[in-house]
Amino acid sequence: MKSNIPFKLFVNCVLVKGANRSTICDLQRNDVRVIPNDLHDLLAENEGKTIDEIKKQYGNEFDEIIDEYFQFLYYNEFIFFSKQVDIFPKLSMEWADSTIINNCILDIDENSNYNILNVLQQLNDLQCRYLEIRNFKSAKIEVISNVLKFLKESESSIQSVEILLPYFNGIELWIASTQEKYVRLHFVRVFKSPFNKNIAPKGDHKLHVMFTKQDYQNELCCGKINQSFFSANMLAFTESVNFNSCLNKKLSIDRNGNIKNCPSMQYGFGSVASTKLKSVVTKNDFTKVWNISKDKISICKDCEFRHICTDCRAYLENPNDHLSKPLKCGYNPYTSEWSDWSKNPLKKEAISFYNLQAVTEKP
Amino acid sequence: MILLISSKYDVSTNNVVRWLNYYGINYVRLNTEDFNPLNHFSLSNKSSKLTINDIDISTITAVWHRRGRLRHVPNSLNNLGKVTDYLKKEEDSLVKSIETYLRSTKKYIGSYTSEVENYKLEHLMMAKECGLNIPNSIITTSKKDLIGFYNSHSQIISKDLRYPINIKTSDVSINSIGTFKVTDELIQGLDEQFAPIYAQEYIEKEFEIRVFYFERRFFSMGIFSQHDEQTQVDYRNYNTQIPNRCVPINLPLDIEKQLLSFTDKIKLNTGSIDFIYSTDERYIFLEVNPMGQFDWLSKNCNYHIEREIAKEFMEV
Ligand code: SF4
Repeated sequence: MKSNIPFKLFVNCVLVKGANRSTICDLQRNDVRVIPNDLHDLLAENEGKTIDEIKKQYGNEFDEIIDEYFQFLYYNEFIFFSKQVDIFPKLSMEWADSTIINNCILDIDENSNYNILNVLQQLNDLQCRYLEIRNFKSAKIEVISNVLKFLKESESSIQSVEILLPYFNGIELWIASTQEKYVRLHFVRVFKSPFNKNIAPKGDHKLHVMFTKQDYQNELCCGKINQSFFSANMLAFTESVNFNSCLNKKLSIDRNGNIKNCPSMQYGFGSVASTKLKSVVTKNDFTKVWNISKDKISICKDCEFRHICTDCRAYLENPNDHLSKPLKCGYNPYTSEWSDWSKNPLKKEAISFYNLQAVTEKP
Repeated sequence: MILLISSKYDVSTNNVVRWLNYYGINYVRLNTEDFNPLNHFSLSNKSSKLTINDIDISTITAVWHRRGRLRHVPNSLNNLGKVTDYLKKEEDSLVKSIETYLRSTKKYIGSYTSEVENYKLEHLMMAKECGLNIPNSIITTSKKDLIGFYNSHSQIISKDLRYPINIKTSDVSINSIGTFKVTDELIQGLDEQFAPIYAQEYIEKEFEIRVFYFERRFFSMGIFSQHDEQTQVDYRNYNTQIPNRCVPINLPLDIEKQLLSFTDKIKLNTGSIDFIYSTDERYIFLEVNPMGQFDWLSKNCNYHIEREIAKEFMEV
């Protein structure tokens, strides 16, 4: 530590101030530290000064606590000391992406009869890169295999496929043979499994497999906000600063073949059988939710986690307000306390509005 | 139509291609791993014509030469020992001549010739002429002179002049470790005369700077490696556990000016340039990599260099 040389925060360690406390989001090392708002203000107001100057500013009354703060910052490499503070510009918060649609969710169940290969062709025209296929109730492995085969043979823009499906006898064998054939399959989540198991990718295999005893009956299971989904990286953070952290450049087809922002949302944009995806994704009606960034969402905008958090626009605390906080978040940024969202008496009405009782009553 | 020359596996090229698609810019991509038939390169007093892989090059408006070079010797001739060596040498001169030809007729960004003729000493001389600071350097075959240089600096380092060593036979395997510190012990072990050794004063640094240069624009990044033993001499000894801090930097205007005259001098329109910012507050030029990577730099600084490159071809 050099107390007589100006300090500067590394620009990829971004301060985010909340109502009650703040975070340092380390976008390079994917790390998040909660700090008191006092420290946030101290940093925001004094960057470019020396520690000695700051101490003096406070009449040398708080030397000890200032030292403690700076040791924490220096030890974690959030700050550095240099006389050249002026040559380090701010980090650009621009988010840019070369696709028209970046990611897509396709829901299928036993009654789905939309033409999935036709959808894939259209997704290719939209430069879509990530695909998630969700099977509720029964596994449609034939459909999935057809999709993977199509992607392999067509040089599609889709780079990565994720699958959700229920457990069946022999599923492990099926996964093993599928992973051999299709390198674009990156994630398989098996629910209603007799066991919990996590198989991380290794060596040449990029596939991550997760078995869970949980049951995902339908799209109502989506939209939970959980600290384990937080991620502090440049792409996600800058996207969240500018756009919605769930729906931006997303397109979905629900199990009935309706085009939607997300399968859980009420509003649809026509059936995929009769409507071209391209004509939907250029409509302002479709893209306007992309712009709902966390800074516009009530309560979230006061939360210190807002730019590392996911979002949900399908299940809202106040179903009548499209800028309302996600229903399935149990965090209160004014008290800094986490609680179980499904047990919160204030959310009862919204829970029954969305028919979520069945989901919340599960263990 | 834009022509891209690159490796199949180059991530940066794939990213730029996505942006070309986004902007609706037409391109053809030739990969350096493949055999690219040369239909003809014909020259006469009246005209000249070039067709590669059935692409009439006169329809090409600009070239982005990202990596490597094209192969015009059929794969079937790849295993003929000394004959292959000879054919490759001939091929090399052909490829360079084609580059010269294209350069004189169209926008051509990147260069195979610069990549192979990336002579560090020449660049040091040019950088010095442009007013940039360079480290004290010596190339010597004599132990006595090396010791003299060693004794007049607090510490010295050594690196290769052009090619990192990489020799693998049945009984030896020698691999370059990049830049390393020269110790007493190392010098003691040397003979009186040896093959030329390239040594430089070790410069105590505040941070390193990697500059990606593209068509008169600079994208610069500061790399803070000093706290970390593993990367103190050469930041390319990546510490993947805790990556060095990498942040955007604005080079001072006078340094940018000097760099521009330097790139003009060595006829470079794209490449990576390494600097050190020393603890005694000087910007010191180290070296150039004409086909250096920028993916890492673009991501860390959120520069969107891939998009900027694609845009460069929008105007042509
Ligand atoms: S209040 Fe909840 S949903 Fe909103 S940003 Fe904070 S953690 Fe995320």
